[in-house]
Amino acid sequence: MRPHTLPLVCALGLLAAGSAHAQTGEAIYKDQCARCHGAAGEGTKKAPAPLVGDRSVPQLATVIDRTMPEDDPDKLDAAGSKKVAQYIFDTFYSPQAQARIKPPRVELSHLTIRQYRNAVADVIGSFRFPPKADPTQQGLRGDYFNSRGFQNDKRLIQRTDGEVNFDFKVGAPDGTQPVKVEPSKKDDKKEPPKKDAVPPKKDEPKKEPEKKEPAKFDPHQFSIRWEGSVVAPETGLYEFVVKTDQALRLWVNDNKKPLIDAWVKSGTDTEFRGSLFLLAGRPYPVRLEFSKAKQGVDDSKNKPPPPPKNAFISLHWKRPKGTLEVIPARHLTPVKFPEVAVIESPFPPDDRSLGWERGTSISKEWESATTDGAIEAAAYVLTRLPELAGAQDGAKDRDAKLKAFCLKFAERAFRRPLADDEKKLFIDRQFEGAGTDLDLAVKRVLLFVLKSPRFLYPDAGNLPENYAVAGKLALTLWDSFPDTPLLDAAAKGQLTNRAEVAKQAERMMADPRAKAKLREFLFTWLKLDQSPDLSKDEKRFPGFDAAVTADLRTSLELFLDDVVWNDGDFRKLLLADDLYVNGRLAKFYGINLPPDAGFTKVKFEADKRSGVVTHPYLLAVLAYNAETSPIHRGVFVARGLLGISIRPPKDAFTPLAADLHPKLTTRERVLLQTKPAACAGCHSVMNPLGFALENFDAVGKFRGTENGKPVDAVGSYDTRAGATAKFTGAKELGKFLAASPEVADAFTERLFHHYVKQPVMAYGLTKPDELVKTFSENGYNVRKLVVDIAVTTATVKTPPK
Amino acid sequence: MARTRREFVRDLGLSAAAMPFLLNLPSLGFANQAKRKQRIVFMFSPNGVVPKTFWPDEEGAKFTLKESLKPLEPFQNKTLILNGVCDRVRGDGDAHMRGMGCLLTGIELHPGNVQGGSDTPAGWAKGHSIDQEIKNHLQKDATTKTRFGSLEFGVMVPERADTWTRWVYTAGNKPVAPIDDPYQMFNKLYGRTKDKAALASILDDLTGDLKKVGGAVSAADKKLLDEHAAFVRAMEKDLKETKETVGHAVPKLEPGVKKDNDNIPKISKTQIDLMVNAFAADFTRVASLQYTNSVGMARMKWLDIAEGHHELSHEPDNNDKAQEKLTKINKWFAEQLAYMAKRLAETPEPGGSGSLLDNTLIVWTNELGKGNSHTLDNIPFVMVGGGLDFKMGRSLKYSKQPHNKLLMSFAHAFGNNIKDFGNPAFCAGGALTGLV
Repeated sequence: MRPHTLPLVCALGLLAAGSAHAQTGEAIYKDQCARCHGAAGEGTKKAPAPLVGDRSVPQLATVIDRTMPEDDPDKLDAAGSKKVAQYIFDTFYSPQAQARIKPPRVELSHLTIRQYRNAVADVIGSFRFPPKADPTQQGLRGDYFNSRGFQNDKRLIQRTDGEVNFDFKVGAPDGTQPVKVEPSKKDDKKEPPKKDAVPPKKDEPKKEPEKKEPAKFDPHQFSIRWEGSVVAPETGLYEFVVKTDQALRLWVNDNKKPLIDAWVKSGTDTEFRGSLFLLAGRPYPVRLEFSKAKQGVDDSKNKPPPPPKNAFISLHWKRPKGTLEVIPARHLTPVKFPEVAVIESPFPPDDRSLGWERGTSISKEWESATTDGAIEAAAYVLTRLPELAGAQDGAKDRDAKLKAFCLKFAERAFRRPLADDEKKLFIDRQFEGAGTDLDLAVKRVLLFVLKSPRFLYPDAGNLPENYAVAGKLALTLWDSFPDTPLLDAAAKGQLTNRAEVAKQAERMMADPRAKAKLREFLFTWLKLDQSPDLSKDEKRFPGFDAAVTADLRTSLELFLDDVVWNDGDFRKLLLADDLYVNGRLAKFYGINLPPDAGFTKVKFEADKRSGVVTHPYLLAVLAYNAETSPIHRGVFVARGLLGISIRPPKDAFTPLAADLHPKLTTRERVLLQTKPAACAGCHSVMNPLGFALENFDAVGKFRGTENGKPVDAVGSYDTRAGATAKFTGAKELGKFLAASPEVADAFTERLFHHYVKQPVMAYGLTKPDELVKTFSENGYNVRKLVVDIAVTTATVKTPPK
Repeated sequence: MARTRREFVRDLGLSAAAMPFLLNLPSLGFANQAKRKQRIVFMFSPNGVVPKTFWPDEEGAKFTLKESLKPLEPFQNKTLILNGVCDRVRGDGDAHMRGMGCLLTGIELHPGNVQGGSDTPAGWAKGHSIDQEIKNHLQKDATTKTRFGSLEFGVMVPERADTWTRWVYTAGNKPVAPIDDPYQMFNKLYGRTKDKAALASILDDLTGDLKKVGGAVSAADKKLLDEHAAFVRAMEKDLKETKETVGHAVPKLEPGVKKDNDNIPKISKTQIDLMVNAFAADFTRVASLQYTNSVGMARMKWLDIAEGHHELSHEPDNNDKAQEKLTKINKWFAEQLAYMAKRLAETPEPGGSGSLLDNTLIVWTNELGKGNSHTLDNIPFVMVGGGLDFKMGRSLKYSKQPHNKLLMSFAHAFGNNIKDFGNPAFCAGGALTGLV
């Protein structure tokens, strides 16, 4: 029994009129159902809830046969119930029927916050030129100098360091220790500084000056510069932390102003922090300078050197939902990318009432946020005009350069070339109005363009077809605006050809922005996009601390990325038996790995585990402080994976306390509490789904027994097709889910809404089925599904109104 | 950096923007003011002075201003000169570093990695500076709170953060970089006013654009754009209502003045003008103005001096040429002080009586007593203005009084009765006596 059918269940009975056998479903409905449910299922005072839902015909028929009409369920037999079920399903109950009655349309939408920030970053970014990068390169480039500054002729090593995490002790950065080490000191024996100090590759160190013997580091005085970029895996506030006992400067996404300047070492602080807001899926330039030396006046020549002191340095961060960690190599690249204009002005949250972010309503706060954003963006540009516009202060051609800059800015922001009258309005008029104050002219253009509906409402400007396609494609795949290759394709008129559009989409999928969006979606699909509370009973689960939970999130992230970007098969998300663990997680979950191991993929309890449903992060989120919660897990499987809408309970209930029922297992307690008829309707669906995961405790460890009793992990589900699926344990549940068309349907629809931000049926009532069909034909490849959706929605001519 | 820009933009927020302006409008803000406004300016010039051309011979109300201080003659009855106040703070760092880092903080430097010309290396000062103490005191009280609390001006401060280039500290290890670019300072003071003006100038075009775009979408979609247009009109109305809220005309800066040694006089004048305007608008009541840095190297070619200030300051007392040049240099700084005093004197106190100068005390000081000896004794403290109710028009001579006591006197004059400041060892006996 499903909640949607509750109106049927609760409705007062109807008087039968005539034999149901001869009647059509419509006639039966009018006869026996309409009085309580309304002529078109809209509901009446007696049964106010409209007959609308996501049950299948067999599911509806079962419920009707069992419970309807309420005063005399026997009045309607199985055959009659089926007819009625089919009738109401086709006429008003099903989503398709609803879509026929109230056709959803593609609504005019403003940019969401994500889209706004990305768009501004990319419009400004179009004036900068990223280097060609080898995406497999990780880590930062390290230049090691035998001097306190960074003179090129003193550079002894150039290499790539995966992480910055070195303890040089009293020695030199190449691992050599000072000659005059007292023999009694055992600690300072000649040994490499630390495991992380990767020895330089043979071919990489710069050739030493000719003829002389190789220069050696002076352990008193050396300096190191690490350069490259850091890729932000998610959007939010990042805290960068450098730990060192020497002088340091750190620049992140601003090559002029350091985020941390501790070149003056002062006092005993060895930890330095700076925070920065970053957008997901973009590389940001990083430079870290380290100097073991006295700064200021160089008196090393006049004074005899004291014994060398210790020196260490490590570069950490705290991701928006993470804990402090050394920045892992996979988030670093030795290639230095240009700065990114990150707009930080706060916006009111986007409407998520339908489960996905969309921009179909506005408020005064939103409108005013677009003003703040425009002012911030203009201020950013105005302080960087020589770089962005090539317009040098006082140069003769500054006027012309700035005008050209403004025109290109407007074209990028509107995602198309400007017509002559638009050039006059958006550029010429603003320059005329500002007189000789060229900075003011630029500011006026930028404010106007960024406040214009042509920028804020991407579909509003009546774009030529090719440019409309380009714009939609970029928003769908990146939540941003087209890049140069895409605009070029539009200019050449290639985007009226679906194959060309698909080619562009596939190219764009390789971009980190596409990766970031897909990851965001997967976390949303798993309902993990908010930061969940994961504190657990310290006595029951010693060691399950913030570091472990942050590692678990990383582990899940690596798993999701691995599946979708390698194999790509969506079913692997539900079936895979491997887990990403580092040393810390391995220790906690009893896996054999060195304690300081980085993340690696291991087979873990392969006969028991099955993809995301047994990932310890998810299992721990879907559990209480000490006990499991089959209800939360069941709701997740039902709502999140099978796509069933379940209403929240009418009242809030506290779970029965485990210590008050010491003899019961969790399963037994849940059954006891949800026994009443008022609960059973929904709980008969979700409990058996959650029970199948009872072998995993509140931190996702496997357990064979609970309270001395063997765990009963038998579960079941009545499918939409009318069958009853039975499964014991997570492995069987995973298999069932991976093969279930309901899961694939729900996944496809969620993905569509997350990507397109419009109702899927606005693109045709059969669109959901078409997409799932292609999804299955493509071996359930997630990337291909994304491309299919992006191409389909971008090339649709005129969405049905 | 991230925070700064966010704050910057929040400062620009339109609705929020109106408040501090409105509060500071003479007609609204000063109606029932019980207490007069009080302000203090700390002005720094480097490398010590030439004692014989600087210190008046006399003590008391009758004294003659010598060559270095001649420019202050128009304000002699508003001037107070303190001789015999000494920076007694010792510890790590050379005299220039301690002279700078301890000048307003009165506390030692942390051990660190910055090596001076002698002594041990050091880091930043261990405590906050007196201007920030006074700022915090004023910002705590709604009647004395201002938009910025304090403004840190500079002139030709080198692009490096170290113990020689910072004298204002919000806390130990937290030096504040002075803004030595007048355009940057202008943006800080008037940026949002200018942004609002720019925004207002495009609103007609924007409304037209909204109409045009709205005409090209379906009726159902047009509703959203109509709503949008209504918000834009509301903003336009807000903008009109909050116009001209600065209380005075936004100053116009000569464009394109580069940060360059030869532009020091121009930059100095502009910074002083901006400071006086900021006081008139009550953006702040505490300010500092830092010329170059400790060990400053300015080459005052406009005074026909080719050598750098610091190298000259090392010349022995018997080098008459050098003494003469150093005197000229200090006289030039005195001229800047006199210009500031003049501008303050000719600006009436908004909502009060008298001039800005009547309610402002300018304190001109230096990291050294004398350049070639690097002494921290007899640190020059030359004060002009009526802001702190000190008895002006005098030349006072103390005997080796720690400057911490004077720093305390500044705070006390604002009603902030701190028991000590900086290193308590130099605060024995409380604030400096004889000032009032």
